Amino acid sequence: MYQALLTRKYLTRKIMPMLAMVAVMLSVATILVTWSVMGGFLVSLIQSGRVLVGDVAIVWPNVGFGHYDDLIEMLEQDEMIDSATPIIETFGLAQLPDGRIELIQIKGVDATSYSDVTGFADTLWWKPITEPTPKDKGREDLRLIADDLRENAGIDLEQIFQNGLTLTRPDPDDGQLDPAGVLGVEVTGLNYRTKWGGYEPQGVNRAMSDGRVMHESVFMPHDGSVGLTVLSLDSDGRPVDPKTITIPIANEFQSGLYEVDQRTIVIPLEVLQRNLRMDEAQRITLEREPFATEFDPETGILRPKMREVVGIDPARVTTVLVKKTDGVELEVMRNRVREIYAAFARKHQGDVPSSHDMHWQVKTWEDLNRTMISAVKKETGLVLFIFGIVSFTTVFLVLAIFWSMASEKTKDIGILRALGASTMGIAWLWVRYGAVIGVVGASVGTVLGYWIVSNINTIHDWIGEHTGLVIWDPQQYYFIEIPSDVDPTKALIVFIVGIMTCVLGALLPAWHSARMDPVKALRFE
Amino acid sequence: MGTETIAHDGTETMAKQSSPILSVRDVRKTYKLGRVKVPVLHGVDLDVQKGEWVTILGASGSGKSTLLHLMGGLDRPDKVDGQRGTISFEGNDLTKQSKRTLDRYRADDIGFVFQFYHLLPELSVVQNVCVGSMILHGRIGYMSNRSATVQRATELLERFGLGHRLKHRPAELSGGERQRVAIARALINDPSVLLADEPTGNLDMKTGASILDTMIEYREKAGLTMVMVTHDERIAARADRVIRLLDGRVQES
Repeated sequence: MYQALLTRKYLTRKIMPMLAMVAVMLSVATILVTWSVMGGFLVSLIQSGRVLVGDVAIVWPNVGFGHYDDLIEMLEQDEMIDSATPIIETFGLAQLPDGRIELIQIKGVDATSYSDVTGFADTLWWKPITEPTPKDKGREDLRLIADDLRENAGIDLEQIFQNGLTLTRPDPDDGQLDPAGVLGVEVTGLNYRTKWGGYEPQGVNRAMSDGRVMHESVFMPHDGSVGLTVLSLDSDGRPVDPKTITIPIANEFQSGLYEVDQRTIVIPLEVLQRNLRMDEAQRITLEREPFATEFDPETGILRPKMREVVGIDPARVTTVLVKKTDGVELEVMRNRVREIYAAFARKHQGDVPSSHDMHWQVKTWEDLNRTMISAVKKETGLVLFIFGIVSFTTVFLVLAIFWSMASEKTKDIGILRALGASTMGIAWLWVRYGAVIGVVGASVGTVLGYWIVSNINTIHDWIGEHTGLVIWDPQQYYFIEIPSDVDPTKALIVFIVGIMTCVLGALLPAWHSARMDPVKALRFE
Repeated sequence: MGTETIAHDGTETMAKQSSPILSVRDVRKTYKLGRVKVPVLHGVDLDVQKGEWVTILGASGSGKSTLLHLMGGLDRPDKVDGQRGTISFEGNDLTKQSKRTLDRYRADDIGFVFQFYHLLPELSVVQNVCVGSMILHGRIGYMSNRSATVQRATELLERFGLGHRLKHRPAELSGGERQRVAIARALINDPSVLLADEPTGNLDMKTGASILDTMIEYREKAGLTMVMVTHDERIAARADRVIRLLDGRVQES
């Protein structure tokens, strides 16, 4: 009882406990903000990494597998599965408007079903918007003035958005819709990333034969195109021949992952299938004697022996992306997809990879992004570890403050012992005192940390406006705003650790006080 | 052992006691000051009868306060040749008791009054008095008797002329007032023995006399046993019995 009374009195009448409380508060707030921002960064990365891959992917790279329409039909009959879409993923070379040739990942997709399964439609950058992005205080985003662009420059952002969705672009001469691609917004380097985190299209500087440099304005979704070179493989994986095509650009996308947006193009599935020779083909006999002849049954004239069509090789894709229905667990869904593929493989035995071969090729989006996710998780852990070590100094700060207070209160301890207080009672006085300071400090720290995280971008902008200090520059960081994710569990853990820090710091002074000789304590001056 | 008790007004009363409430036998104590051993008590023997007021006289450093601390269970006597000496309270040897029992003994049976008051500066007057009860009864015990305890504390303080100072802090009181608070605190648990270490030593003569009168009056009414350390012969003259500590040994007057 006397501990509660003295704790209250010591708390309100001394500056030292206030300092200890501030130390705990700052420590708790720092850890919570760090954890939340790193957690937010991880969540943002995961969401960005997920946006173009659906929930589960069935992958047989490079060569691909046929009868995928049948597989998709089987998949979509299952109640766990919302939809599925076929895609081809391959690498090629892209010749960009400024003449550079870059290695690029090419995704051949079925525009409609790809948008159903993934968040592709949301990633299309060029589209009319009504509200500016968070950092665009001056409303400088071109997408806000779609009407002006259409009337004055003949650029119709709504049409460009639709072009992106359908992977087509009208031919300027005859208005016919040509197959078109959607580039990652960072691929060409012609989109200048603004300080508010948006894009302004830039022209291309071309060197003339006379040494002059001519500036040519190019807006890729309006009048730009890229050359793509792909290397086709036969069904046994042998290279056949390289093919080069020129493909107009319908729109550009931003997934949120720079690695993806800087080296990916999405084009119509049939275009890629055709150029990779993965489209449907006739299977013919292989004539072993090159000079064999036969009589033409119609004319009766001798002619070189014709190859016979003995079957059809179905079109192939490298991947089928699957979207689960709401509420289904990801792992459950993956196992279900494996079962469906097994049935599919039995049905097309010999024509498609076996279910045994395909077992580990049925992957969740987490499996596909595992390297990136685990890297960021490790970085988060490392940063937390470092901050944890720094915050651990709070224990020693509290210890120093409590030691000083316990020394100052030596006579009080002697008085209490003379009145019959036990050693445990004296120890509990300080431990309890530490716990109360910890609870108050950690509570205020948690609230402060939560408030900072909730308003971190407002605070950051305010600091930037008043001091010119910009820590999170959208020109350098790929996310426009500082990501944050306040998890109540994390807040609770940090809160408890904050209290434990204080109690830990109070233990040694408590032990020291409890062991104090009461006679010496009474004589303390 | 019988003891003759003489009241301070000179009237003689004979109180034959069969056994003392406090009994000290062959108690020794040596303090270490760095590497130097300073012997303080060389084998003290002393009996205090129930209801008796014993005054211990002695020069500075003669071990008066040490003897008081030992009797109050705040310290333990030294062992010499395996023998510790004994300090008995109502027949129980305190030197053989556990720390917990000694804590309980101090809280329940003993009231300490110190020369420098030793009040807790953060607490009010009434809280300072009640803190002894909080220690004795614990949280639940105190809370269940809180109003009775506060009432007793208030009565004691009013009796000592501090009824108007209940909410004040020690820093706002005079020396005499602080010592009255300390006496009230010592009495809150209705102890059997009051151990007072020069209770008037830090006060002027008039205030000291007033404090002494207060203590004597209470002792007479409550039948309290009192052991008082002093070096003031005039105070000693008012006690039932005076003992002197000389060279670490008792010399009865």
